[in-house]
Amino acid sequence: MKTIKKIKIVVAGPFAAGKTQFINTVSEIKTVATERKTTLDKEKDVKHQTTVAMDFGKIRIDDEHELYLFGTPGQSRFDFMWEILGEGALGIIILVDSTDPKTFHEARKIINFFHSRFPVPIVVGANKQDLPNAWSPEDISFALDITDEEDIPVIPLSAKNKEEVKDVLLKLLEIIREYIS
Amino acid sequence: MALTGDLSVFNFADILQVLAKDRKSGVLLVEWKDIVIAYYVKDGELVFARPVDKVFRVYTDRDFDKLLDKLRIKKEDLHKTIDKFFLSRIDNKEGIFSFTPGFIKYNTDIPVFYPVEELIMRASRVLTPEEVERKISDELLVFERNKNAEDILPKVKLTEDEKKVLELVDGNRSVADIRKASKLDSLTVDRALYGFLATGLIRRKKKEKTQKPSISLDLLAKIIERIKKL
Repeated sequence: MKTIKKIKIVVAGPFAAGKTQFINTVSEIKTVATERKTTLDKEKDVKHQTTVAMDFGKIRIDDEHELYLFGTPGQSRFDFMWEILGEGALGIIILVDSTDPKTFHEARKIINFFHSRFPVPIVVGANKQDLPNAWSPEDISFALDITDEEDIPVIPLSAKNKEEVKDVLLKLLEIIREYIS
Repeated sequence: MALTGDLSVFNFADILQVLAKDRKSGVLLVEWKDIVIAYYVKDGELVFARPVDKVFRVYTDRDFDKLLDKLRIKKEDLHKTIDKFFLSRIDNKEGIFSFTPGFIKYNTDIPVFYPVEELIMRASRVLTPEEVERKISDELLVFERNKNAEDILPKVKLTEDEKKVLELVDGNRSVADIRKASKLDSLTVDRALYGFLATGLIRRKKKEKTQKPSISLDLLAKIIERIKKL
């Protein structure tokens, strides 16, 4: 029996950024989720269920390889999971809710976390661009203090839209390709 | 695209940073609890402020010169409106902001009394410990001076404490090292670093990427093709 090699991409971001939706949109299997009821009042106002350990989705590449998308829990009190999930990742996608500027600082902290521990390519997905009060990717890039030297693109998307989710994945993979070549 | 939010979670230093980086022009409207104020922004610089009783009035005056004529305000007095309606409220975080780009026609000769970098530094000086922690989140962070720091420096009137902190930013010292070496309290140091970051005087030192992805180009090409076909 052939051993299937697993390739990992991490999908991180603040609470309610749309990570589970992102993975669901492209995964070939029903996402394995570890969701529980939100307990904090301020979080209950945003959504009733939240990821407490990880989500994962899978895309079969060929007979020997599978691409796994691991979604981290958004709250920083679960940052021990970020460390575990980041290990061995090919690249990292940080999702932000473009309509919720109060989470941008948290997103920057998450970028700093992964950047300092796992120096692999990172892209930012500016999610919920389909909503009317979404910040533009350019403004989000400024708000996140992303400098030219950091080389972290901010890509607009709606995590419900398969083509746009694919665009984010492809952008990350293109950066990885440049990095290897 | 919208640029809206709550001052309690996205403060004036942050807002001005975004407006300055892209040299935006337009009107920033802040709905305070007691009053609505329109802040006029030209090429990222705050040039004028006025209270408005009805928000729609802001959008009916599209020519800046005509607006000043109507309000009987001289260009040399514009900075007084910044004093009265911006600086006096710089530490008030109970407001909703929205920025509308474009739509107002500015002439080129509008004086800038307070450069935006100066306003950002002033806004940074009144940040709470919780606000400061958003940018200066880790005492192991290392900063270095930006290449264009010398161009920005004349625009900001740094305090003696801030000058001391800036001298210590060298690309090697961490936030913890700077706090210790400066002998200043942590909040003063962190507010200064926050302001320096927002004005572009300093930046996070780039980590050297050493971890090369453990994947072959052939396999990567296969993954890319697979994703495209999803």
